[in-house]
Amino acid sequence: MKVLRWKQLSSMIFLLLIVMSVVVGCSKDNSTKSNSDQKETKETAEQDASKKGSKELVVVLEGEPTSLDPQNSTDGNSSNVQESIFEGLLTFDSEMKLVPLLAKNYSFNEDATAITFELKEGIVFHDGTPFNAEVVKANLDFVRNEENGLARASFFEFINEVVVDNEYKVTIKSKEPNSAMAAYMAHASASFKSVEEIKKKQADSNYNLDRNPVGTGPFTFGEWRDGVHVKLKASDNYWDKDNQPKLSGIVFKPVTEANTRVNMLKTGEADVVTKLPTQSVKELSDTEGIDVFTGPSLNLFYVGMSLKHEKYQDVRVRQALNYAVNKDQLISQVMDGYGVVADSAIAPGVSGYAKQEAYEYNLEKAKQLLADAGYEKGFKATLWTRNETEFIAVAENVAIQLKAAGIEVEVQALESGTLFDKLDNNQGTDLWIGRWSPSTGEADWGLRPNFGSDRVPPSYNNSGFYVNKEVDQLLQKALQSPTEEGRLENYGKLQEIVFKDAPWIFLYVPENSVAKRSNVDNVTILPSDDVRVNGAEKK
Amino acid sequence: MLTFIIRRIIGMIPILFIISILSFLFVHLSPGDPVRIMYGAEISQEAYESLREKMGLNDPLYTQYGRYMYDLLVHGDFGVSYRTKSGVSDEILRRFGYTLVLTLVSMIWAIVIGIVVGIVSATRRNSLSDRVGMISTVTAISVPEFWLGIMLMQIFSVQLGWFPTSGTGTLSHLILPSITLGFGVAAIIARFTRSSLLEVLNEDFVRTARAKGQKESFIVWVHVLRNALIPVVTMTGLQFGFLLGGSVVVEQVFSWPGLGSYLIDSILSRDYPVTQALIFLFSIQFLVVNLLVDLSYGILNPQIRLK
Repeated sequence: MKVLRWKQLSSMIFLLLIVMSVVVGCSKDNSTKSNSDQKETKETAEQDASKKGSKELVVVLEGEPTSLDPQNSTDGNSSNVQESIFEGLLTFDSEMKLVPLLAKNYSFNEDATAITFELKEGIVFHDGTPFNAEVVKANLDFVRNEENGLARASFFEFINEVVVDNEYKVTIKSKEPNSAMAAYMAHASASFKSVEEIKKKQADSNYNLDRNPVGTGPFTFGEWRDGVHVKLKASDNYWDKDNQPKLSGIVFKPVTEANTRVNMLKTGEADVVTKLPTQSVKELSDTEGIDVFTGPSLNLFYVGMSLKHEKYQDVRVRQALNYAVNKDQLISQVMDGYGVVADSAIAPGVSGYAKQEAYEYNLEKAKQLLADAGYEKGFKATLWTRNETEFIAVAENVAIQLKAAGIEVEVQALESGTLFDKLDNNQGTDLWIGRWSPSTGEADWGLRPNFGSDRVPPSYNNSGFYVNKEVDQLLQKALQSPTEEGRLENYGKLQEIVFKDAPWIFLYVPENSVAKRSNVDNVTILPSDDVRVNGAEKK
Repeated sequence: MLTFIIRRIIGMIPILFIISILSFLFVHLSPGDPVRIMYGAEISQEAYESLREKMGLNDPLYTQYGRYMYDLLVHGDFGVSYRTKSGVSDEILRRFGYTLVLTLVSMIWAIVIGIVVGIVSATRRNSLSDRVGMISTVTAISVPEFWLGIMLMQIFSVQLGWFPTSGTGTLSHLILPSITLGFGVAAIIARFTRSSLLEVLNEDFVRTARAKGQKESFIVWVHVLRNALIPVVTMTGLQFGFLLGGSVVVEQVFSWPGLGSYLIDSILSRDYPVTQALIFLFSIQFLVVNLLVDLSYGILNPQIRLK
């Protein structure tokens, strides 16, 4: 019995220890929360005194931002957060038209080799430093210096020199005529951070610009806890008196699971949810207290073909594949109808888009073209796809449809990093599912990366090794056109050639879907996938 | 006892060394390029090369391994994350807290329920309660965590509004994820307890105790359970080790910022320092849990001596 008593005692101590650690763990959570709550309550109270709005907006993103330095990130989650902190010279309106933001106006020189911006005066960064032409120059010089290793360095490659004309006037000179410069300067990565931050980085290479965002936007950075949230606070001295923030702050939460995002909206834990799965769009549209927006995106889904393979070198084979896939069926089965058939190599919302005659589904024609090309018995192919639900569903649907034309397709789902690696190294590339969205909203960024002969791998996106001198010339001509007509004419010709040449199976343009609680107003969804909540109001 | 512990800890060193090499090779030899994934398709070749150079990825593997071990042994940290540019050790420590709390809560109720169901089933073998218990456990083991998590969220968060759907911060945030995580474990513990108890119940010393007229409940709780718990403890230790490695599915569903989701994020973005560190840490966790399990044998049954 003596042993038993000791054993009982030791078990009790063990249990007590476990319970204590749980309680400590949780109370630590609670205490952290209550501390931060107290802090926030105090901050909120302070803001209440000075602002009309006192409510925090919760925006749920599909993943964690990678960086809050606009010049060092390429993903949508990061730019969604950055949009509230940073601003650039120009921006896009809800229809992707260019509008001035920190600039008063802009003008091109005659041969489109220089663009001059006149800046608004009296704008200050969140750290109190002024915004002026020197800031523009410092930012652009910093990102262009490849030694600084910023993700967007190549985006600004077109710049030859940034000239400060006076305190509020700056000219950007390009290496060659470039009519897309204005669109580039409206892109989120052409937003400006405080020069003080750049100086800190120059003084100490370990200084983390990704986590210390200082911009001129309506919200200032609060806190970033990995996997939990990024918190922003309303700026006390936002320069635009007509567009003052109507919220006390914004909380961006990364939630990877789509079902959870939907449920958070239903329970009211989230106010705005991005990237809804299409099957949830219908359900949420009928839910009281929730509004759903859908709108055309700039994305385009395609099946890439490697022209290194003999079979795809024959244009008849490539066209046959385009005829063999019923895109309407694909859209209704995979996207629940939320998409349109691709009728060019870029989406209709992209500036410079020219509608082509889409490849109608015609199995007989497809078989005939294959027979003409010497493949009357079809052939075997491998279709690579990312191992993400939508991509796999598209791949399987395409494989089934191609089988009817006699093409035996084996679908291989790969993790995206592995897929990129294989495409970059041309490791037996055959067919693959691709998606592209030109984040500048204009045709150059939509066409050059995919069809320019200077963009074949390694690293670049022309993984099909499509080389066409005429296309290359038209890309240059369009970019160098000083007039809009010339630009559109050249892009029009280019799209006609590419569409007929069919280096891709052009599939569909999906719709963006965002949902919000009905008590939230002024949330804008852009075709570029960006969700703007700067002017949002919560009742 | 102390000698045993010290000897075991010293014995871990070569194992950890081998693990460090294997985890390093696993991370560096798997396909996918961190620079390409982080910076997208349109990064220029020059920028790409300069970034790889800067990140030390162009050095031979043994140099990179040496740097990794130097950081670990001399500075005592796992370096800096490629993705977040912040210290890996700090972030792991923070996330480990979340994983530990979730694991402990899940394990506590899984152990309590598992052992009770196991005992009831074993002592009332072939009765209705035994059958119900065993059918429930088979069901519980078969239910996918993802489905269970979503269903619990649907019922208790969306419909009833009792608990938050996701996130952390309060005790109520812990309930649904810990139930989801502990469900399968409880079932496994129940089945192990039952079969182990049944085996011990047939031993001679149980017959002797019964012949001496001792109460059945006393026999089960005092004599049988102590002997039967050894395999249960081993298995529970293993489960604990697994859960400490972070449950990816539960963390994804409930947006719980633990080690599981951290590992997945780091693998997807080819964040080598984080992935290496986590694999290494999970191995240490298993070794420590195994040691604790071995130690607990002696406490459960003093006839087992540690040598």
